[in-house]
Amino acid sequence: MNIDFSEELEAFRREVADFLDTAPTPAIREAGRKTTSVFAPFKEVMAWHRILHAKGWSAPAWPVEYGGTGWSVEQRYIFAEEHWKRDLPPLLPNGLQMVGPLIMELGTPEQKALYLPGILAGEDYWTQGYSEPNAGSDLASLSCSAVADGDDYIINGQKIWTTLAHEANRMFMLVRTNKEAKKQAGITFLLLDRMDYPGMVVRPIIGLDGLPEQCEVFFDNVRVPQSGRVGAENDGWSVAKQLLKHERGGAALSPMLRRKMALIRQAVVDAPSPHGGTLADDPIFQRDLGEVEAELVSYEAFERMILTGHPIGNDPAMPSLNKIMSTEMTQLLGVMQARVAGLGAVPQQVEALTVDPAAEPLDDLFSLTAMPFYLNARATSIYAGTNEIQRDLLARTLNAA
Amino acid sequence: MDFTFTQEQEMLRDAAARLLSQHYDFDQRQRIVGSSNGRSVEMWRQFQDMGLLITAFAEDRGGFGGKASDILVISELLGQHLVVEPYLPSILFAGRALARITDHTGASRWLDRLMEGSALGALAHEEGRGTAHIHAIATTLSLDGDAYVLNGEKRLVLAGGDADLLVVTARTSGGALALLLVDAAQVGVTRDAYVTIDGRRAANIRFDNVRLDADAVALNDAAGVIQDIVNDAIFALSAEAVGSMGALLAASVEYAATRKQFGVAIGSFQALAHRLADMKLAFAKARSTLFYTAAIIESEQADTRTYSLLKAQVGRLGRAIAESAVQIHGGVGTTDEVAVGHHLKRIMTVDAMFGSVDYHLRLVGAPG
Repeated sequence: MNIDFSEELEAFRREVADFLDTAPTPAIREAGRKTTSVFAPFKEVMAWHRILHAKGWSAPAWPVEYGGTGWSVEQRYIFAEEHWKRDLPPLLPNGLQMVGPLIMELGTPEQKALYLPGILAGEDYWTQGYSEPNAGSDLASLSCSAVADGDDYIINGQKIWTTLAHEANRMFMLVRTNKEAKKQAGITFLLLDRMDYPGMVVRPIIGLDGLPEQCEVFFDNVRVPQSGRVGAENDGWSVAKQLLKHERGGAALSPMLRRKMALIRQAVVDAPSPHGGTLADDPIFQRDLGEVEAELVSYEAFERMILTGHPIGNDPAMPSLNKIMSTEMTQLLGVMQARVAGLGAVPQQVEALTVDPAAEPLDDLFSLTAMPFYLNARATSIYAGTNEIQRDLLARTLNAA
Repeated sequence: MDFTFTQEQEMLRDAAARLLSQHYDFDQRQRIVGSSNGRSVEMWRQFQDMGLLITAFAEDRGGFGGKASDILVISELLGQHLVVEPYLPSILFAGRALARITDHTGASRWLDRLMEGSALGALAHEEGRGTAHIHAIATTLSLDGDAYVLNGEKRLVLAGGDADLLVVTARTSGGALALLLVDAAQVGVTRDAYVTIDGRRAANIRFDNVRLDADAVALNDAAGVIQDIVNDAIFALSAEAVGSMGALLAASVEYAATRKQFGVAIGSFQALAHRLADMKLAFAKARSTLFYTAAIIESEQADTRTYSLLKAQVGRLGRAIAESAVQIHGGVGTTDEVAVGHHLKRIMTVDAMFGSVDYHLRLVGAPG
């Protein structure tokens, strides 16, 4: 056992650092510093995606044949670390981490040729159409229907929590193609090559942080080609399960969490404690920050063991363990940042969170981003399988009952 | 020992509850938040007609109440309905601060105006992170010839953007704390107004060499009174937060009973049932502590620690309830379109003001 990166990897780190120091535009850097969610400001993160693509670095986790970097797990971790250290906006996960790998695995040659290059290059943004108002945790009860008609499907119904659908030009979705079959059995997985089909309406939803990150999408007799189907008709549930594997694996989260911790440690150096002196010197605060640090290191340890292929990662409980740990860690850091920012986190500053805003923030960036980050992090224990559902799944792997 | 309301208080509560359920449901509230002034002139008139503007004051100051239990009755309702009208800053903060100043013509004249609703007041006390302790106040009042000069910056002054009167705390050159009445239109007062995350209007206010005459200094050596003013604020905020907690519990119970997944109400899942049970436990603790504190105050046995304990419990238990409520509501709870998240933001704001959980718990645990 050892914890060090080899000399070669340190050289790789310098190469990455050199590029990340010079390539991003000021607007991209600003967008990164103002990112308070998994989803960075759209325009700037897509611009950054295209710059990384030009360098050949947009898809660290993809196989080389599809335009990936061919990096080792350690290299990808180093890249994520260096990326986060500079507060650069993380590339949007929907294409690179979710639908892209799924198309590689289950798509037709035509679908691969049609869609993978656009995902790789950052030309396309795919929104995910899974949840419905009455199908959340119980996703298999979804009712948005697709009826075959010649070479097409006619879609009717509604999707919700379609992240950034108002910015998207494509969508992957689950539809019901058989109402008679058992819930899971009548579902089909579709790729929509457009978001502007006649009868499709997108409505943004304002979140607690004041930002329109989520959306609803309404379908009224929307005619789409059947050629967008992945897998067989009525076999979409197993397709979606494959995708879930990609959603929950591969990307390192702890470099983001570590960066949040570093920003907190930086902020407390001159943040006054209500008991006099600075927060950094306040023993009560130190104790509480110590607890967050300890939790963070445990998560870093867990994630690195998984990423390096240790058998701990083969535990059937792994996806749930990882989802619960990473989201609770995010929330812990959100609470801590809001605590440090104190009164400075109370003004609502939606405008100042945009790139090159008309009005400057009232306070520093740390205070500006504290409450949006805390509030956005509330959603982490809800999306991608609530943490209650995850605990159910986890408990089932223990075979206690 | 008695923790019950008087008959008059019950009547007031019922009338105010009726008014708010008719005219201050969540959609109406959101329209007011989004309006240009962020408050409703009509609602203020209704408050006035109902006597709410004077209920917060004792009879010898022209009111008909002013007891802790009177504040509790009103504030719980304000919290339950997420009321953004400037009752808290103008009546409970500035008004009650003025009521603590005796033998000062300016103060009683301003108080009359606030009580009749013809002027708005704001309390300009906190200065940002770390000023929960009143002795951390850094705004200065110095003497220049026979005029006083005020310098400094106050943060998160609720209603600070359009208040006529600012009740300001400052440190004198001798190191004592003073309480000042500053006309907001005075030269050298700069207000940076904004909306808070919980839908209120507030401002950061800078005082640059603001020249004041002697009459503006309502109290010299005012540390005791300022602590009382802060304690008043803590009590009112805590009562509001408890009102929010009650609303969150009720909304979550209703949602869990009506929202179905897997063919059954989600409240039938033990994970959620126990979460609801924990919310109820937290609410029972917080509300009991609030009523108990009111009784201690009315028995004139409250000290600073009494208020700290209440503020700490409300902060801890409030956040626990609010985060649980969002979780139970799922995706819907993370949007601005239902009240739940607004209560969370209210509770987070209450915790940030006048000392957070961490500050107050330490005072409660300190010896002596």
